[in-house]
Amino acid sequence: MIEIDQLTKQFGDLRAVADISLTVPAGEFFVILGPNAAGKTTTIKVMAGLMKPTSGSVRICGFDISASPIEARRRMAYVPDFPFLYDKLTPTEFFQFTGKLFGMEDGAMQAEAERLTGRFNLGEFLAKPIEDLSHGTKQRVAIVSALMHSPEVVVFDEPMVGLDPHHTRVLKDILREQAAAGVTVFVSTHQLSVAEEMADRIGIMHQGRLVAVGSHEELQAANRDNTLESIFLALTTDNA
Amino acid sequence: MNGAKPISHWRLLAKVNRMQNWRRLKSAVVRSRLHASLMGLFVVGYAWMAYWLFHKGLQFTSGFPGLGPVLIERMMFLLFAFLFLLLLLSNVIINFTNLFRNKETQFLLSLPVPRQVVYRWKVFESGILASWAFLFLIAPLVAAYGAIYNAPWHFYLVTPLFVALFVVLPAILGSWAALGLARWVDRLAFQVAVVLAVIVLIVVASSWLQPETVTDEMLETRVLDVVDRLLARTRFSLFPFLPSYWVSSGITQWVEGALMGTFFFGLVLLSHTLFFGYLASTRTGGIFYGAVSAVNSRGGGTAVGWKFWKHKPALGQTAFAPRLLDRLAKLMWWGRGDTRALIVKDIRTFWRDATQWGQSLILLGLLIAYIVNLRHFSHRLTSDFWIDLTSYLNLGACALNLATLTTRFVFPQISLEGKRIWIIGMAPLGMRRTLMAKFLFSTAVSMGVTMALVGASCAMLSIPPGRVLYFTLTIGVMAFTLNALAVGLGAVYPNFREDNPSKIVSGFGGTLCLVLSFIYIVGMLSLMAATSRWAFGGSSAVEFWLGWAVFLGGSFLLGWLPLRAGIRKMASVEI
Repeated sequence: MIEIDQLTKQFGDLRAVADISLTVPAGEFFVILGPNAAGKTTTIKVMAGLMKPTSGSVRICGFDISASPIEARRRMAYVPDFPFLYDKLTPTEFFQFTGKLFGMEDGAMQAEAERLTGRFNLGEFLAKPIEDLSHGTKQRVAIVSALMHSPEVVVFDEPMVGLDPHHTRVLKDILREQAAAGVTVFVSTHQLSVAEEMADRIGIMHQGRLVAVGSHEELQAANRDNTLESIFLALTTDNA
Repeated sequence: MNGAKPISHWRLLAKVNRMQNWRRLKSAVVRSRLHASLMGLFVVGYAWMAYWLFHKGLQFTSGFPGLGPVLIERMMFLLFAFLFLLLLLSNVIINFTNLFRNKETQFLLSLPVPRQVVYRWKVFESGILASWAFLFLIAPLVAAYGAIYNAPWHFYLVTPLFVALFVVLPAILGSWAALGLARWVDRLAFQVAVVLAVIVLIVVASSWLQPETVTDEMLETRVLDVVDRLLARTRFSLFPFLPSYWVSSGITQWVEGALMGTFFFGLVLLSHTLFFGYLASTRTGGIFYGAVSAVNSRGGGTAVGWKFWKHKPALGQTAFAPRLLDRLAKLMWWGRGDTRALIVKDIRTFWRDATQWGQSLILLGLLIAYIVNLRHFSHRLTSDFWIDLTSYLNLGACALNLATLTTRFVFPQISLEGKRIWIIGMAPLGMRRTLMAKFLFSTAVSMGVTMALVGASCAMLSIPPGRVLYFTLTIGVMAFTLNALAVGLGAVYPNFREDNPSKIVSGFGGTLCLVLSFIYIVGMLSLMAATSRWAFGGSSAVEFWLGWAVFLGGSFLLGWLPLRAGIRKMASVEI
């Protein structure tokens, strides 16, 4: 479960996130949408504990990310928009490293890595140095390493960038399965189709504010519009 | 997930980084055995040559009756005092980059790794990065010191232990300074602070370096008093609360056989290292996280109090209105628009990364302070030999300083374009003209600075105008060669994966550039001095012009060949 309570993040004069409150319960697939610089990545970075909130709080599975960061992160999988990987390691070695950081047993780590790498077709790349892999393959390695420890909360920032249609499908299926198994899934994306297809609830951010939250149907009803695209444009286009 | 199993994060991080570094080394050797052999040869060659030179120098100094041991001992204290300062500065810069601009740090902070462990690991890594080169440079001197005094074998075991304890202190203090800078000072404030610090440094160093007046009568009758006055300027290195004092005292007393003294200073050093080490490794994680958050949160905002520095467009002015730099660039009417745009971009990115240019500004500040003080020396340099020697040494100092700057800033220019190089590569400007623009611009700037410095140093020594012209022309030619060498090798050995210029420079290409620059400077300086018409006995007109011809030919070849190779490499580069 993710609980965001009156979260505000200020960058000098700029209010990147303005007084957001949101609860994403266990088992929900939540998609956050918004134009560039709406505050999505900042919100996610605060959720991951990479920035302190200016005010307000974020709780992951009941643990405040600022006060109990280790407990919160232990339950979370976070993949940023540009994930870091050790370029001289092989994917196998990278999985072993991250698995151990999450305290996984060798057997469980291997089983989970084999299962996920199988689904993401990473088998042929497991013994190659990460520096030799393509952008999309590196993205798949980052996703597998994040999901390996069976997290209770998944936070992905633009996870589909760089993935081909086949592996985008695989990722969607896996995230859907995670949500069905009770995992909280929080995904930021610009692909409205992902939100329409996958999300239990959709949040739309604009200029640091959460301007709309609800299921696709609820958003349609509230905005008297048919498509998510027209709702999105109506809520995020300035008429100044 | 299994949260019950205790994990040694430190061991995991050490293992992963050891594997990374080992593979990097292996791939460098596999990629080119010749390069690796050259590097190995350089390391061994430097160690051997430096040891030999230091040994000769110390032997010469120890020959002064009564004075030798005093001078050598003071040199050891000065060596460690300056080493402490340099390590501190180096640690501040490397820690800042490693703690706040490092992707691994951000990655680790998003995992269940305690902040304290991340901080400890990064400080450890920065400490090694900041210290190894300095230790490599001074090791032959300390070994020569032991050899001169016939130190027992255990001296060579105890000294590394002392030095290992010693380097921990600047590493920790440097990391704390970096935390403070990151937490409280934004980029603009830092730039202003560095410039102010350099001005203060020039003023203080100018006053501190002023020589003592010593008459012949004093030299004959009161030698000890004169020596004492001469050494007074170095007394700061004997300040007993300086860590360098503890390590120097420990080492010098071990050589003298005063083992209890060494034991005492060893314990002083150990207790401080343990105390500060304890604070750093157990109590700084929270502060570190606060600083990381401050840096990540800085964005477009500016720290309170510095807003007046920020550029504010006037009412009605668009964001694309030309700013001062754009207007200045337009004054270069002979240059093409795209070339001017490239130069403006290079200046802006350089100026905005204050951690990069700050350290060189300090070096330059010290050089200016020295040159300003030459006027005091010139009154006392009555012999032509000393004036000639000083003028050639000044030329050497300027050239070496220039070589450091070209290697540090010009060499990584192409690599720093990184993955963005396609912008230039695809533009009509072309890689050849890009390279030439970078070369001509850096040459023009460095020629201006170094010719002015050499000219000023000659003026301070009251050298006749003909010789001033000779020295300024010489440094001008050297500026051409050193810049061409740095631009050329930077293009031949690019590293598009690395964003950190200090890491780009520490690769094979950067090392080769520095080594070739130094060999060139020493070789050409020796040639110019040997074929000088007036200095050191003077030589014939034929020898003089022959010397110039060799100098010009050699300089042209050493500059042009790498530049041409760089242009060819860039024409076929695959990103």
